[in-house]
Amino acid sequence: MFHKVLVANRGEIALRVIRACQELGVKAVAVYSEADARAPHVREADEAVCIGPPPSNQSYLLGDRLIEVARRTGAEAIHPGYGFLSERAWFARAVREAGLVFVGPPAEAIEAMGSKTDARQLAIAAGVPVVPGTTEALRDADEAMAIAESFGYPVLLKAAAGGGGKGMRVVREPHELAAALGAAQREAKNAFGDDAVYVEKYLDGPRHVEVQVLADMHGTVLHLGERECSLQRRHQKMVEEAPSPAVSPALRARMGETAVAAARAAGYVNAGTCEFLLDRDGSFYFLEMNTRIQVEHPVTELVMGLDLVQWQLRIAAGERLPFEQKSFVPRGWAIECRITSEDPANGFLPSTGRITHLHLPSGPGVRWDGGIEDGSEIGLHYDPMLAKLIVHAPSRPLAIARMQRALRELVVEGVETSRSFHLRLLEHPDVQAGDISIQWLEAHLAELTSAQPDDDTIRRAAVVAALAAQHDRGQLAAPVHSAGAESGVREGWRWQARRESLGQ
Amino acid sequence: MKYIVDLAGRRLTVEIDGSDVVVDGVRMPASLETVEGTPVRLLRLGDAVHRVVARRDGARGQYAVDVDGWPFAAEALDERTRAIRDVAAASESASGPAPLKAPMPGLVVRVLAEVGAEVTAGQALVVVEAMKMENELRAAGPARVTAVHAVAGTAVEKGAVLVELAAL
Repeated sequence: MFHKVLVANRGEIALRVIRACQELGVKAVAVYSEADARAPHVREADEAVCIGPPPSNQSYLLGDRLIEVARRTGAEAIHPGYGFLSERAWFARAVREAGLVFVGPPAEAIEAMGSKTDARQLAIAAGVPVVPGTTEALRDADEAMAIAESFGYPVLLKAAAGGGGKGMRVVREPHELAAALGAAQREAKNAFGDDAVYVEKYLDGPRHVEVQVLADMHGTVLHLGERECSLQRRHQKMVEEAPSPAVSPALRARMGETAVAAARAAGYVNAGTCEFLLDRDGSFYFLEMNTRIQVEHPVTELVMGLDLVQWQLRIAAGERLPFEQKSFVPRGWAIECRITSEDPANGFLPSTGRITHLHLPSGPGVRWDGGIEDGSEIGLHYDPMLAKLIVHAPSRPLAIARMQRALRELVVEGVETSRSFHLRLLEHPDVQAGDISIQWLEAHLAELTSAQPDDDTIRRAAVVAALAAQHDRGQLAAPVHSAGAESGVREGWRWQARRESLGQ
Repeated sequence: MKYIVDLAGRRLTVEIDGSDVVVDGVRMPASLETVEGTPVRLLRLGDAVHRVVARRDGARGQYAVDVDGWPFAAEALDERTRAIRDVAAASESASGPAPLKAPMPGLVVRVLAEVGAEVTAGQALVVVEAMKMENELRAAGPARVTAVHAVAGTAVEKGAVLVELAAL
C-alpha cells in the first residue's frame, strides 16, 4: 500500500477519499484553491497545499501543478475523485510519466471510452448491444424506410448537428416516415445549416441503469450490480438507488456480464461504470463508460458491503481482488439524494451564501457524505452539490421511509437547498412504485414544485409565524431582556452598545 | 393580539390569547420555544410537539418557516400594520410590474427580451450562467418590455436590474 496519496479534488469527494486513506493508514495530501482555505477537506488531511486562486482552471484543473505538489510532498499516487481531471487521459498519462500512480484506469482505457462514438465502436466490436441506428446521414426516405424495418418502429430521426430537440422526430408508423424526414431535414437545415439526419431505434420511456465494475491489474474483472439513476433533471441525477426496481437477478447477471465484456475490451483497470438504457421489454443498450468513481457510488457500497474508494487505492497499489463474482448479491436497498444549493421554488436557480445552521440526520442506516459545515461559504465557483444523503434499509419501501425521515431531520439554513423537493419526489406514487423513466422527472417537475401541504400543516406554519412575530415584538418592547432568541434586534442593540463604548 | 398571516397563497387569522392560540375557530394551548443559538424551535400545540425552523427573512413580520419538511415564506402582522401594508401594496402594484433582477451573480449568456415586446407570464427574458448552469430568468406576469439593461457576455451582480417592465 502507498505511504502517501495526493487527493486532487475538493468538497465531499475529497473528504471521502481522505477518509478512505486514513482508514487504510495512508497519509493524505489535500490541495485547495484560495476559496477553499477553510474547507473541511483541508482540515481533515495530513498535509494541505494551496494551488491557486478560486477559478478551477487556475487551481483544480492545473495538472502540472498537482504533479509537482505530489512530488514535493512525497506522495506516490494521485486520486482524482470525480469531475475536474478524473477523465482526462493526458493527466493520467502525465501522472504515470512522472513516476507516480494514477488511482484510476490507464490513460489508454480512458481514451478508448473517451468519446461516445469511440465507445460505441468498441462496444459493437465486443458484442455489447448499443441502440440500433445509423451514424451516417440518410440519403432519402427509401433508405430510412429500409433501415427502420431492420430494427422496428418507433424510430427517432435525429439531426447530426443536433441539440435541444431541433431536427428531431419520433416516427411510430412507416407511412409517417417520409414526411417526418422532410420536416426534420428542413428544421436541421434552418437550425444548424446542415440537413444531415440519421435514424435510430426510439425507446419509449427507458430507464438509466448503470453497472459498477471493479477490475484489478491481474485480469480479474467483476461487476457489482446496478444503480437506477432515472430521476434526472436536465441530465443531472437527483436520486439514485441500488438495486433497480426493474432489474431481476437474471437481468442483473446479463447486464453485469455485458459490462464486464465492455471493460475488458477497453483494457480497463480500477473502478468504472457502464451506463445503459433499459427498455420496458428488458432490452438494454450500452451508452458509455464513466472511467472514474461516481458521485452515486455509496448506494453500491451499502448493498454490496464493501468500500469502493479503498478498493480503488488497493487496486492502484497492485492488490488482487479477493472476491468471486457470485459473492456479490445486493443486500437490502440503498437510496441517495443529492442535496444541492438550488432553489426548487425558484426554477432551481443556484443559491449562494453562508451556511448559518446545519443539523445533520443520524440514526440507523443513515450516511452523510458532505463537504459543508456551519459557516461554509457557498459561492459560484464550483458545483452546487453540497452533500449526499444516503440511506440503507432491508427493502425499498423501508428505504424510502428512512430517507423521508432523514430528510425531515436535515436542517440547512443560509442557502436554499433541494431538500423539500426531494421530500415531494419521494411522496409521489410513481416514485414509490418504482414506475419511473429518464423522462419522468422533467414531465412531473411542475406538479412537484407546485405541490401544496395539507391544511393542518399550513395552520401550524401560520401559528409558528404568529408566535415568532409576537416574540420579536416583545424583544422590540424590551430590548434588555436577554432570554431566548437569536434575533436581528438583539444583535443591533449589542452593536449599538459597542459603538457607544468606543465613543463613536 | 390578532395576527394576520399570509402564507402558501392564503390568509389566516391567528389570535394569541395568553397561552392559547385560536386558528379557524379552534382554540388550543400553544407555545414556541427557541433552541439557543439556532433557528430551530419547538412548537407545542396542546400535547403535540413539532420541531420547526423559523427565521426572520426580510422586513418585519416576514419569516422563513419550515414545518414537517414544507418550506413557507410567511408574513405575520397585526391587523393595523396589515391594513397599512395592503394599502401600500395596492398603490405599488398600480405603478406597474417589478423589474427583472439578477437573483445571483453570474454571466449573461443570452438576452431574449426586446424593447417594446409584449411578454407573457413565464416567458424567458434573460439567460444567466452561474455554477456552470444556464438559468432562464422569466417574466412573473404579462408585461411590456420598456428597457433592456442586460448585455450578453457581461457579468452581473446579484440584484442588478436586467429588464424593466410596464403593465400592459
